[in-house]
Amino acid sequence: MGHGSWDDNAYAAAKTFRAAKGIDDFGYTSAMRGTPSAKWKAAPSMDPFGVTARECRDSPDHADSTPIAVLFDVTGSMGSVPKIMQGKLGKLHGLLQRKGYVTDPQLMFGGIGDADSDRVPLQVGQFESDNRMDDQLRDIFLEGNGGGQKSESYELAAYFVARHVVTDAWQKRGRKGYLFIIGDELNKPRLEARHVKRVIGDDIGQDVDPLSVYRELARKWHVYFVLPNKSSYFNDPAIADHWRDVLGQNFLKLDDPGAVCELIAATIGLEERVVDLDQALVDLAEVGSAAESRAVGKALVQVGASAGALTRSGTPPMLDGPDDVALN
Amino acid sequence: MANAEHVIVVGLGFGDEGKGAVVDALCADGPVVSVVRFNGGAQAAHNVVVGERHHTFSQFGSGTLAGVPTFLSRHVLVEPIALATESRELAALGVEDPLGLVTIDADALLTTPFHVAANRAREDARGEGRHGSCGKGIGETAWYALLERRGAVAGDVVEGQEVPGTPGPAPTVGDCADPKALRRKLDALARCYGPLIGDGQSVDELVSLYRAFADAVRTTSGDEVGRLADTGRLVFEGAQGVLLDEHRGFHPHTTWSTVTPDNARALLGGRAARVLGVTRTYQTRHGAGPLPTEDHALLARFPERHNGAGEYQGAWRAGHLDAVLLRYAVAACGGVDGLAVTHLDAPTSWVSTAYWADSTRCVDLPDRPDLTGFLTRCAPELEAMPDPVAWLEEAFGLPVRVTASGPDRADYSVRSPRPRRGAGESGHGSAPNRVDVGVGGRARAAVRPGGPRGAAGGGTARAGAVRR
Repeated sequence: MGHGSWDDNAYAAAKTFRAAKGIDDFGYTSAMRGTPSAKWKAAPSMDPFGVTARECRDSPDHADSTPIAVLFDVTGSMGSVPKIMQGKLGKLHGLLQRKGYVTDPQLMFGGIGDADSDRVPLQVGQFESDNRMDDQLRDIFLEGNGGGQKSESYELAAYFVARHVVTDAWQKRGRKGYLFIIGDELNKPRLEARHVKRVIGDDIGQDVDPLSVYRELARKWHVYFVLPNKSSYFNDPAIADHWRDVLGQNFLKLDDPGAVCELIAATIGLEERVVDLDQALVDLAEVGSAAESRAVGKALVQVGASAGALTRSGTPPMLDGPDDVALN
Repeated sequence: MANAEHVIVVGLGFGDEGKGAVVDALCADGPVVSVVRFNGGAQAAHNVVVGERHHTFSQFGSGTLAGVPTFLSRHVLVEPIALATESRELAALGVEDPLGLVTIDADALLTTPFHVAANRAREDARGEGRHGSCGKGIGETAWYALLERRGAVAGDVVEGQEVPGTPGPAPTVGDCADPKALRRKLDALARCYGPLIGDGQSVDELVSLYRAFADAVRTTSGDEVGRLADTGRLVFEGAQGVLLDEHRGFHPHTTWSTVTPDNARALLGGRAARVLGVTRTYQTRHGAGPLPTEDHALLARFPERHNGAGEYQGAWRAGHLDAVLLRYAVAACGGVDGLAVTHLDAPTSWVSTAYWADSTRCVDLPDRPDLTGFLTRCAPELEAMPDPVAWLEEAFGLPVRVTASGPDRADYSVRSPRPRRGAGESGHGSAPNRVDVGVGGRARAAVRPGGPRGAAGGGTARAGAVRR
């Protein structure tokens, strides 16, 4: 009951039944694709506009909730990766529970696009601790456009999480949540006030340096950027340099996008000091494929090697941008 | 076997006789409209091997690899999550749209994660006294369905199990298409089991999952078997073995299921069918319970590729062919029309034809309530059995319709009726013999086991009156 393997099976069962009936796993995207692009919009449950806060709260069943947000780039440069993510991420909760890496994980998923050129540049769901997260994933609109400027609106997503997510983990226990941004491009050079206004509804008055947004975010969140293979800029050193500047060692390259769940689980296990890298890889080999485990091992070598040096509240290095976001 | 006749396949042992492969062989042998499951649930494990392909059938009928659809009758306990898993396994073997091959009676009971958790919690609590349950919630599903009918309340002991909370009506497959009704029943189920298993499972999640299940499979009500039977031949696939039957098995090592052909006959509503009893050339069982002819040496000689110790079921055991139990099983079926004999490649050469207990020799199980205890302390008398098929045909006066000398479909042979040795004897020759060994109040016929050859000429082992 409520165990990981049951969750996994139930998730897989729902997917099997839907497939048998011909409802595909990307139902919302299929529905949107059938309408003119002028009418494209986020599913109501995924629309960040006017949202005061997405909440990750404790409950009698889950008294020690751990917030985990996974926001992935859904633009064209990501190629097939968003579909792979969407198909695999539903397993994440079961994996985290089964491995006991964190207490009471609650997951929130979202999609990131390009505020300069996309109809739906940001989508953010709710924190869920059961298979409703599966519905959330199916409701993410894979718009697939993007601007072709080698940058996406990651900073807009970062701003939303910094300002519009509240967690009992932080408020009651001073514990950070986990934010994984999965993408393949640079932040926009500025977080533009007009985009914040249009997409989220906040009036922030002026444009803001993305670095200051990440600095604010890092107070309450462990932030990781995952660059998966099969995306456009996997081997572009400019991307790696950019994200290392922003997040330091929390920039992870992943050979096999199918291993994203395992990477997230192992990263959290390491950060929580529940496992070391070797044990995490043994754990992963038990549940996933050998290839996935190898990909995760490779991605985490750097994190694992310096895990001893990780500090739980470490602020990413080189955050020296202008601190002009009015911090609450 | 005449192609037009419906066939009911039952196991004459403690399960694992080879029913699945027999069903597959029958389906591959001639046109079959549907395989009908008439008992049990997701605990069934019927191995079918066709060349490179192997599948352990659980809820799908064992005719699936032969392309035959499955009907899960109202006597089956349906577990949707496991059904989905099995569907994916079959798809991986190349079966196209497996769920499209399944039809389910709306009245079939649902086995839920609550039942599974309760089953395991109870079996764990029994410790050394485990019943040898499969841990898949089957008994619990049948048990919970009893509670409302019996008007049970929290704290009552029903069939030896304590009622943990206030029970409600049992959810059925038909409820899955009606989220409101389903939620009501699942809420009651969750509350009832809460004291035993906690409240870790979200009912919301199950409601949406079961809704998707209802969308994906065809459910029917009314006389689906009748409708199917009118279009062609049906094969009824029994789960488990008659010696585990809820009424005729040896308690407490029994299943909550009518394993005998009774359900299948009821579903057929008087339509003619032949009963085919399946046995290995030796006796096996999983887990606890009596097995008089048990011989550990056999285990080493016949290792099982697809049978091992189950976490909740216990060890895999083997013994010599037990004609006493076999006769008992045939009687429990109300007679059978033919036998299927599997594992002819396993060169057993002994059979038990009688037991010794308390210095008395008996060839039939005594008519007494403590059969389990009796079987545990009796000593089998063994005799040589060089040719199991010939021996069984002689001793039971029944034709062997299917033989198997290996796990693959190619090792199975469906035999045409043919005159047998001793055809001049009454009842031996023509095909539709049915041996009635006097069940249910009729006088139990004396059955004299002879040697494999020795008694053959003397009306050997003919049991009671022959009827059609």
